[in-house]
Amino acid sequence: MGNAAHAPVYRRDMFSRSGIRDPYPHYAALRELGPVVWLSRQRVYALPRYTECKAVLRDDTNFISGEGVALNRLTNRLSRGTTLNSDGADHQRRRKLLAHRLTPKALRAMSEAVDAKAEAVVEAAVARRHVDGVRDVAMALPMAVVPDLVGWPEDGRENLLTWAGATFDSLGPLNRQWLRTSPAAMSMLRFSRRVVRDRSVLAGSMGDDVLRAADDGALPRSECSALMIDYLAPSLDTTISAISSALHLFATHPDQWQALRDDPSLVANALNEVVRLESPLRAFTRKAVTDTDLGGLRIPKGSRVLVVYASANRDEREWDDPDAFDITRDVNRHLGFGYGTHGCAGQGLARLESQAILRELAARVERIELTGTPTWAINNIIHRYDRLPLELVPA
Amino acid sequence: MRVTVDHDRCEGHGLCTQAAPTIFSFDDDGELSNAFADADVPEDLVPAAREAADVCPVAALLNDE
Repeated sequence: MGNAAHAPVYRRDMFSRSGIRDPYPHYAALRELGPVVWLSRQRVYALPRYTECKAVLRDDTNFISGEGVALNRLTNRLSRGTTLNSDGADHQRRRKLLAHRLTPKALRAMSEAVDAKAEAVVEAAVARRHVDGVRDVAMALPMAVVPDLVGWPEDGRENLLTWAGATFDSLGPLNRQWLRTSPAAMSMLRFSRRVVRDRSVLAGSMGDDVLRAADDGALPRSECSALMIDYLAPSLDTTISAISSALHLFATHPDQWQALRDDPSLVANALNEVVRLESPLRAFTRKAVTDTDLGGLRIPKGSRVLVVYASANRDEREWDDPDAFDITRDVNRHLGFGYGTHGCAGQGLARLESQAILRELAARVERIELTGTPTWAINNIIHRYDRLPLELVPA
Repeated sequence: MRVTVDHDRCEGHGLCTQAAPTIFSFDDDGELSNAFADADVPEDLVPAAREAADVCPVAALLNDE
């Protein structure tokens, strides 16, 4: 077993602006270097291949989340008390409190309402014909569904997207982007504390569940605001990313769009393929609490590993022709929603929303045409379009 | 091979029911049921059982291999 001190070193910065806009050459270079690569800029061991990413996500005893999953110590300290940043019984308790509202079974009650909203969104977009795929299609549904579900007060919604994006930025390295958006991340934290103090959540919502659990002594009052953010922040950008990437991929692969229109039952698999190919979340970290062997190297206790979901999902060792978009591919094992104990708790909701939009589009739109150059949003962790000019050609 | 469901972890995402429909299904209450909860998985279904355990997004399926 080699010592991880001998791991290959990568000196370029995958979190630079250009690395954010086009991360895939970084991932390919990392995968080529080896299963464990030392990132000298961030001082962590990157795991760019599928096997090691999955092994670490599965082994939540040796690779813990409780000391944070961010790439910087400050955020790791600030995010204590969240589900994302906890282990074992603490994590189980926090996750159970809210995940039961997000299971596919619990979401069944919402599915008709989501379908109806998706229909309205798509109808309006098709009527306009020339749209921004991000603002006019991808954002509309999550913004109409998630804040109500979490119970976020009406008067605190105008900043939600900015705040939620900033919360993701804060999980990246302490770079210029982190500094630029940290005031917004702090604003979300402050607002959330005020929501808890004033009990301004909507009755019957998930946020309401959290406050009641605290009333019953099932959870410390001090954890409430962190939990609100836990479920609100990750539910917007991620789904917006998946829907807009789907639009772009289908616009640039008309044969795949035709295949989906011919057989709408492919929609579930198609969405998984989108999330594999353009994973909304780039990477999170874990901390090794023992000396652990990984990819033929010994990772020393106390070091941090970076699980690069987006790279694992394009690993040529795991996927045939990994850069190709194929909605019929056997894709369910992708890591785009993470995996294991900390696997995305909202994936049922994300699937419900994204599939509803794609089904409505497939029924009404013959072709999706790219009408301009798309631009990427700048974010350390979230990979999504900022603008996506499209023409929706009605069927 | 035995395959078991950790019901504490299972959230009903249902990817196992696609990978191994003869083994896993949802009952009328939406709970996951395992046709081979108390028996070995027949030889011809072992690959499907393995795939089901592999795709479970919350790692709630364990096989004893």
